[in-house]
Amino acid sequence: MNPDKPNPNKLITLEQLLQRGDIWRGQSQGFAPQAALDSGHAELNECLLHKGWPLASLVEICQPAALNGTNMVSQGEWLLLAPALRQLKEGYTVLLNPPALPFAPGLIQAGIDLDRLLVVAAEKKADFLASFTELARADICTALMAWQPKHNLSYTELRKCQLACSEGKGLYLLFRPLSVRQQSSPATLRLRAQLHLRSLEIQVFKQKGSLNSANTSIHLALPETWLPIAAHANLGQEQSPPSTHSTNNVSSIKRAKRKVP
Amino acid sequence: MKNRLWLALRLPDLPLVSFPVHPDEQAVCVLEKQRVIYANTAALGAGVDIGMDVTRARLLSDCITYQRDMQREQEYLEQLTAHLYTFTPYVHIRRSNIVPDSGLLLEISRCLKLFGGLKNLCGKIATAMADISTAYGLAHTEEGAWLLSYDNSPISGDENPADFIARLNHVPIARLADWRDEDEVEALKRTGFNTLGDISRQIETQSISSIKKRLGKDFADFITRLFGIEQNFQQTALFEKPVQTYQPKEFFFDTMQFDYPITQVEQLHTPLEQMLQQLGAFLRKRKLACQKVEWRLFDIYQNSHHLSVHCAIPQNTWKLFYDLTLIQLESQQLPFAVDAIELTCQHLQKWQEQNQSLDFSGRRSKNRGGNDLALLEGKLKARLGEQAIFKVSYKDSHIPEQTCEKLSAFTPVNQQLPQIHQHALRPTWLFENPLPAQYRQQTLSWRGTLQLLTGPERIEGYWWAAPKARDYYIAAREDGLRVWVYKDLVEGSWFVQGVFAG
Repeated sequence: MNPDKPNPNKLITLEQLLQRGDIWRGQSQGFAPQAALDSGHAELNECLLHKGWPLASLVEICQPAALNGTNMVSQGEWLLLAPALRQLKEGYTVLLNPPALPFAPGLIQAGIDLDRLLVVAAEKKADFLASFTELARADICTALMAWQPKHNLSYTELRKCQLACSEGKGLYLLFRPLSVRQQSSPATLRLRAQLHLRSLEIQVFKQKGSLNSANTSIHLALPETWLPIAAHANLGQEQSPPSTHSTNNVSSIKRAKRKVP
Repeated sequence: MKNRLWLALRLPDLPLVSFPVHPDEQAVCVLEKQRVIYANTAALGAGVDIGMDVTRARLLSDCITYQRDMQREQEYLEQLTAHLYTFTPYVHIRRSNIVPDSGLLLEISRCLKLFGGLKNLCGKIATAMADISTAYGLAHTEEGAWLLSYDNSPISGDENPADFIARLNHVPIARLADWRDEDEVEALKRTGFNTLGDISRQIETQSISSIKKRLGKDFADFITRLFGIEQNFQQTALFEKPVQTYQPKEFFFDTMQFDYPITQVEQLHTPLEQMLQQLGAFLRKRKLACQKVEWRLFDIYQNSHHLSVHCAIPQNTWKLFYDLTLIQLESQQLPFAVDAIELTCQHLQKWQEQNQSLDFSGRRSKNRGGNDLALLEGKLKARLGEQAIFKVSYKDSHIPEQTCEKLSAFTPVNQQLPQIHQHALRPTWLFENPLPAQYRQQTLSWRGTLQLLTGPERIEGYWWAAPKARDYYIAAREDGLRVWVYKDLVEGSWFVQGVFAG
C-alpha cells in the first residue's frame, strides 16, 4: 500500500482525535475534569485547577517510603485529606490496602466518621486492581484511598484505574512511593508529599490543563503538637534524647497518669 | 364439627429415632437433665421408671443412656408431616408438654372417598409409618383422637361419634395432665371424678354450665372441644376452630442440560443468568428471599463440582448472586467439560421489605445505601475472603492496642471517645505488633534517628494479667516522619507503635 495514500476508511483526522475527552492538550482546560472538592487548605486550592481535589479522576500522591524495605508510605495523608473527607456527608470512605491498621482513637480525633470508613485488605496486585475498579465504580464509595501493592503498577494497570475512576463520582487517591515519579502515569493530578520538621511540603508536578505547575511547591503547617520547640531540641542534643526529664519541661500535653483501680 | 374425623398418630418411641438401633433385650434410656424421660421395654422390665435419676437407672438395668436430641426429633416429625401430606393437607405436629410422647394429628374426613374408605386409608398410613411404632387413635375431635391413641382400639371403619364418646368415657382423668395443669387434675380427682365418663354424666344431668361454674370457663371450653358438644349458637360453624393446613417447605431447584460439553467459563454466563432469573421470579412471586444458593456442575461421567454462593443480606433478586458466582468461577478453572448444571436454594425466608421513610426531597441514596453496601461487600468478600473487609471501632481499654477493634461492615461502631482520651495525642496508623526501636549511645533510632518531641504520657494497667507500664512520646525521625514510641518500663526497651499522619 502506498504510504502517502492511506485507506480513507481508516483515516482519523487530528480534529477527530482532539474531540476525545481523554487527550490531554497542554493548557487547554476544556477537557480537564470540572468537578472539584475543596481541599480545605487555601494554599493548595490556589495551586489546583477548579480550586480543589478533582473528582471522578485519579489523583496520584507520591511519598518517600517511610519504612525502608517495605511498601509502607505515610507522609501526613490524614493531615492533607481529613479536611476534604470531613466535607463528604454521605457514602463511604474506603481504605484499600492501607499500610497499617487505622487507629480508631486517632481517626476520631481527626474528625473522621468511623461508621462510614471501610478497610479493605488486598495485598496481591490482581486483587488490588479488581477491588480498586470495583470500588471506584460503586456509587456508595465517595472517597477511595488506595496504597499501591508491593509490585509496581504498570501504565496499563494505572490506565484501568483511571478509566474506572472516570466512571465514578468520588474522590480517588492512589498513594505510591516516590521512586515512580519519573514513570509516566495517566493520573489527572500527580503530587509529591514530603514531611519536614516544620511543615508538610506538597509539590504538584502534573496537572491536566495546566503546564506551569511543575515547580510550585507549597508548605502546609503541621499541628502544634508535632513541632519541636527549639529549646527542647537543644536540650535533646545536650542530654540523652530519650530522657524523661528533658522532655518533661516542654511537654505540651498533660502527663496523663492512669492506673486501673 | 359433626363431620370431622381426626386420626392421631402417637409415637411413643420418638426419643429413640436419633440413636442407633439396639437389640430388644438391651436396656436403653434417654435422658433429659439427668432424668430418664424414655425407657425401652427391657429397661422398664428391669424396674426403671420414667423420671428416675440416671444413676439409679444404670444400677437397676445396666442400660445404655443417651441425651435427648430435640432437634433431631423435630426434624423427624417434619419429615413425617411432609410424607403424610400425600394423604391429607390437614396434618400438624403435636408436641406433648409433659409426656415425651409426641406425634401427628390428621384430619381425614375429606379424603376418605379418595382413598377408598377409612379402613383403606388407615392401612396406607400404617404402611407409611412402618419404620416407627405408632399408636393410632380415631375420634371426631382432635383432643379425643389423641386421648384414644392410648386406648389402642382397632379401627373397624364404621365408627360414629357415639362410639368415640363411649370410648372416651372410659379414659381416666389423669390423662388430662397433658393439657391441663396438675392442680386442676387433682381438684377433679378430689371432687370425685375418676374418668371422663363421670364428667360427661355430670354434663348430661346438669348441663355444661355447672362445670363452668365449678372449674372455670377455660376448662368447660376444653371439655366442649374434647367431646365435640354442640353449643346453642345461632351459627355454630362461625365458632368452630379452623383446621390448620400444612404448608410444605418451599425450596428452589432448577437444572439445565447442555447440547455439547462446555469448557470455558464465558460460555456458562448465559445459562447461569437464565437460571438465576428463574430463581428471582420464583422468589418474587412467593415473597421470599434467600441468602445462599448452591451450584452443582456435572460432566458426562456424573462427576460433580460444588459451588456455594453466600451474601450478607437476604436477596430476592438475582443480580448479586450472578456477580458473586462469576467472581468465584473467575478465580478457578472449570474442573471438567460441563454437561449439566443444577441450581438449588434450600433455605428460603420471608422477604422483609425494607422500611422506607417518606422522603419528598427526592434523595433516595440513604435508603439504597444498605443494599448497595451488601452488593459491594459481597463482591469483595467473594474475591478477598471473609476477613478482608472491616470497619474500625473504638473500644474502652487502658492499653492502646486494645482500644481499636475490627468489626464487620454492618455493625455500628463506637465513636464515643472518653473525655480523658479526647486531648491525648493518638496516631492515625497503628502497628498491631509494636516494632522494636534501638537505643544505643544515648541515641534512639528506628530506620533513622529519632528525636523525642512531646511526652511522656504514662499508661499503666492490665495488672491482673501481664502488667503493662509504658511511657509514650511523639518522636520525629530525621526525614520528618512523626512516630509514636514508647519505653516499656517493665523491660526497659523501646518500641514504635504508630505513625502520626494527621
